[in-house]
Amino acid sequence: MRIEAGARTDLGRVRKNNEDCYQIVPALNLYVLSDGMGGEAHGEVASTLAVQTIMAHCEQAENSRATPTFGEPHPDVSERTNRLASAIHLANRKVFEMAGANPGHKGMGATIVAAWIEGQRLSLAHVGDSRAYLLRAGSLEQLTADHSLVAEKVRIGILTPQEADASELQSVLTRAVGTNENVEVDADEQMLLVGDSLLLCSDGLSRMVTDPEIASTLLTSTSAQNAADRLVDLANENGGVDNVSVIVLRILPKQESVLDRLKIWKRNSG
Amino acid sequence: MSRLVLQFEGAVLKEIPLGTRPVTIGRAPDNDIPIDNLAVSNYHARVYVEAGSLVVEDLNSLNGSFLNDIRVERAMLKDGDAILIGKHHIFVDQVHDAAVPADGLRKAPAPRVNETMVLDTRERREMFEQAVAAGERSQLSPDRVRVPTLTVLRGRTDQKEYRLAGKLTVIGRSEMATVRLRGWFTPSIAAQINKHEDGYYLGRGDLVPKVNGIEIGALTKLNDGDLIEVGRVRLNFLYRD
Repeated sequence: MRIEAGARTDLGRVRKNNEDCYQIVPALNLYVLSDGMGGEAHGEVASTLAVQTIMAHCEQAENSRATPTFGEPHPDVSERTNRLASAIHLANRKVFEMAGANPGHKGMGATIVAAWIEGQRLSLAHVGDSRAYLLRAGSLEQLTADHSLVAEKVRIGILTPQEADASELQSVLTRAVGTNENVEVDADEQMLLVGDSLLLCSDGLSRMVTDPEIASTLLTSTSAQNAADRLVDLANENGGVDNVSVIVLRILPKQESVLDRLKIWKRNSG
Repeated sequence: MSRLVLQFEGAVLKEIPLGTRPVTIGRAPDNDIPIDNLAVSNYHARVYVEAGSLVVEDLNSLNGSFLNDIRVERAMLKDGDAILIGKHHIFVDQVHDAAVPADGLRKAPAPRVNETMVLDTRERREMFEQAVAAGERSQLSPDRVRVPTLTVLRGRTDQKEYRLAGKLTVIGRSEMATVRLRGWFTPSIAAQINKHEDGYYLGRGDLVPKVNGIEIGALTKLNDGDLIEVGRVRLNFLYRD
């Protein structure tokens, strides 16, 4: 299989600065997206530092097995997935230290959603309310659980999803990178299949665009970049109240054979 | 219309329009403003209109109701007043209806929580303590550990039984597969099982598995005793003690 990537970030229609940050490293098949917070231009300091730290740590680990790990490893996921989580722990430490060292940066932080693909296996790690979605066989699944107050209340059953969508508390996060000395990182893995589309996005997309709109855009786009552009346009058409960033990955066969095309067609139509 | 705005740590939780009926505040869920906090009494206070004025009345609560930081039993309210109950603030937002002809002149809604904020560990713990406690009570025997397993009933596999230890269990010919299938035409990823917070979910790979004889659509939660078919392989999903 091969990966086709597209990405786009946009101010949105209300905000004056973009606190989102994303980075794609094709050589590592590593994709990271972050939504900064803290106001007065410090949000982007946090998100940029977080993304760059993660990229550097994973690259270093690729080249040297002696690279130290940060945070408690999860026993139930692979070494690779734990490495990605370790990178987020390190990013947390760096952002936290920077926020502590400079009074002007106090309170800054960021969300992270990171995807690392090795062979067919997707390693996924996240903190905050930036999300990963998987479109497979025509149906869209959210792979990440938001670390936000409303989402956690929905999970323990004291709020309905409808109430959560209408809540004014959607911006209250229960976890973020850089706001505490330590952070709990969610890490998970999946096997990817030819024909899958993976979406990483900031809440500027997921709050503006519904799941069915996301699914149909991913399904009907001509390329990963086309999907990324159309999703950002949709978020802006629907109000664009926040910065919006997306990374779209399409999993394609190495060399598309007639059989592969038939398989994908069959899966998407069945 | 006048309204009450419930806030916690500066964040707006709820807005309650004020009508002719009294608005009740307390820990019991049938209050108009339920506040799930142990510092709040079941029926803590109420706000109502008396002779054209807005009044707050404490209903003999244990920890009291505070109006602009002063403990009160009964007090008249004016626009902008803050009532403190437990750790929650309730702000009075009065609009004089008579002068408002239509939507155009309505007061702008209370400031939305636009800036992202993060709760600290203590706040999180407090918010979820009760829910967790309730969850623990509902469990029959918390110390009984049950191990999810797949038992092979039919087909060519490398083992007869598998314990699901990780978050991802791959069924297929792949070297990464936990349940390694043999056979020339077996796909490398035939199906996969993902562990979620509430259990194990079976999803498709290059084959569409069946659960209890029915082809799965989206991810399907596995229940104790489910029969899984992946190609010609038949597996039994069991929680073992």
